[in-house]
Amino acid sequence: MTASAIALVGNPNVGKSVLFHRLTGAYVNVSNYPGTTVEVARASARFDAAVDLIDTPGVLTLPARSDDERATMHALLHEPLRAVIQVGDAKNLRRTLTLTALLAELGVPAVLALNMHDEASARGVTVDAQALSNALGIPVVPTVATGGEGIAQLTRALTDARALQPLLHYDTDTEAAITDLANRITRHAPHPRLNARGLAILYLGQDSEVEAWLAEAAGDQITGMASARAAAQTKGVMPAALAHERGEAAGTLTARVTARTAQASPLLAHRIGQLIIHRFWAWPILLGVLFVVYEFVGVFGAGTLVGLMENDLFGKILNPAVTTFVRANIGVPWIADLLVGEYGLWTMGMTYALALILPIVTTFFIIFGLLEDSGYFARLSVLANRLFKLIGLNGRAVLPMVLGLGCVTMATLTTRILHSPRERLITIFLMALAIPCSAQLGVVLGLLGGISFTATLIWVVSMVGVLMLAGFLAAKLIPGRRIPLVTEMPPIRLPLFGNVAKKTVGRIKWYLIEVIPLFLLGTLIMFLLNQFGALPAIIRAGEPLVSGWLGLPPEASAAFVMGFLRRDFGATGLFALSHQLSPIQAVVGMVTITLFVPCIASVMMIVKEQGWKIAAAMIAFIVPFAFLIGGLLNHLLRAVWA
Amino acid sequence: MSTHDHNARVPLAFLLPGARAQVNALGDEIDATQREQILAYGLAPGRPVTVLQQHPMTLVMVDEVELALESSVARHVWVTRR
Repeated sequence: MTASAIALVGNPNVGKSVLFHRLTGAYVNVSNYPGTTVEVARASARFDAAVDLIDTPGVLTLPARSDDERATMHALLHEPLRAVIQVGDAKNLRRTLTLTALLAELGVPAVLALNMHDEASARGVTVDAQALSNALGIPVVPTVATGGEGIAQLTRALTDARALQPLLHYDTDTEAAITDLANRITRHAPHPRLNARGLAILYLGQDSEVEAWLAEAAGDQITGMASARAAAQTKGVMPAALAHERGEAAGTLTARVTARTAQASPLLAHRIGQLIIHRFWAWPILLGVLFVVYEFVGVFGAGTLVGLMENDLFGKILNPAVTTFVRANIGVPWIADLLVGEYGLWTMGMTYALALILPIVTTFFIIFGLLEDSGYFARLSVLANRLFKLIGLNGRAVLPMVLGLGCVTMATLTTRILHSPRERLITIFLMALAIPCSAQLGVVLGLLGGISFTATLIWVVSMVGVLMLAGFLAAKLIPGRRIPLVTEMPPIRLPLFGNVAKKTVGRIKWYLIEVIPLFLLGTLIMFLLNQFGALPAIIRAGEPLVSGWLGLPPEASAAFVMGFLRRDFGATGLFALSHQLSPIQAVVGMVTITLFVPCIASVMMIVKEQGWKIAAAMIAFIVPFAFLIGGLLNHLLRAVWA
Repeated sequence: MSTHDHNARVPLAFLLPGARAQVNALGDEIDATQREQILAYGLAPGRPVTVLQQHPMTLVMVDEVELALESSVARHVWVTRR
């Protein structure tokens, strides 16, 4: 930690991660919605390998209020920062400068990158960068990070990074409280880099990271600070009042350096953005989007591409060739079986991973990336809000859930954008229960889509029904209040081919790295169970549950054993059995395996974010619940759909 | 229009799409954290807003930003018509 670091800090969705990529060459996911980055990323800078560049989650406000904002505050407090690059949205200067006003109090050397100035111009907004630079006392560089514009100037400007001019003085009572607290901090808990005045303001603002840092550094003296703060609050020195004063100061400066020309007509992007959440047009548009996703992932990916890969490439060419080669060259029969037998590492593990799942996740990630970058996903929170009210959440939770359709593990981390621990807990639980990840979704669509649209629809209705029921109960059981939705709509944009491609490749790479070892491990376990005669015993033991209650063929037990490793592995096991399954069996099997335990990686993530007790409680509920719902569905369908 | 009081405060949720207004105050019903959030989004007293739509949620334009507010919040954002 002796190396120096430079942090990219800014409001959400202003392009910090794009700039990070430009400055380091390292790619972190970039999307068009607030909250793409929920933890810090680091890489060494292109312009100086000794400097660590740190990408931080966007902060709507400091003091930090949500877990992703706390991660940013944590970085400011603990990283050996040499400077900060504040990234701001040129068309939204007031908000940018509200954050600048706080960074100024911390005294870190800074540079302001005024990003997306092309979008600002398109809206008739021009910012006088020189005037702003003079007012702030730091370099201000207009950039268009996606186009690489202004990057060289920004790198050069870093050598001129300096402490910001303060933007405001607070009112008398507040100033008195700040001075008192700053003196205490200087005496008892001086920070190696940050000004006591800035820490005092954040402490008055009830920033929990700063509270924790001061409690650690000041020891017993924290009680004096706490009572000083309590005394100030009785005089009206409240967090919102401080935030308001910063906003006012930022507004004044914004008005001074910004020029606006009236626009003839609203931008096309605005009109599209409003249609997407129009009270009437929103619904046909949503159905249209779902239809395109279904056609591209379910029909083209899981049908056409999987057919080509599984039947033609693997089934007719690769697997026979590999099998012949192995059998001819490996004399030990059990080793040959391990590679190319019924539970062979190649014939089962690699074939599942490459022929079945890879085409599905690839098509899914492509369309997912396009939707992310267009600004559509963020608008779903408006459409889902009323429904989510029933399960104690607000529409903001739709974002992690939709991301969960890509990968539940990553989405569990994304719940950091939610504003209360209660919302996070409910959302993580519902995702672990009823949100299938892309691989699994593709297998489900491929199997059920091949049977009939009705089968697919029954699966969808079952999953949404379980989600709502479990959510409704969770909201009743978990104490706390629901927070109404207030959120920002990111601009509608034409997705950039390069970014979608990079994101898709990155996700596929991650998929291959994470999934192949697990699929191979799973296959090995299956092979060993089979080799030592345990598999037939498991199939027999599972028969009352699997055949009696769920009405599935006994061999399906094997799929549930596989499902313990990854749900999609289990689903793939059912997929491979599909020629033996009736439509009802297929639907029941897929509903059960979708609800069934989340994959190992996502369980580890739940443990990391919520602790092992909560993770264990979730699994203890989810496994029996999955079988309960599956069995009920089986009996219901047999009664009405036979 | 002569009987219409232009300085009367109305909740943001009551304005028709297309209406322009100025934020007057945030009601006490909005909790402290959410108040900070709304201020940070730029919906602060004295700021001009344009209402874009009211269903399924209140959608307003503040500077160059579109904000969506649930009606339970928009009912407590007091504005004066411009």
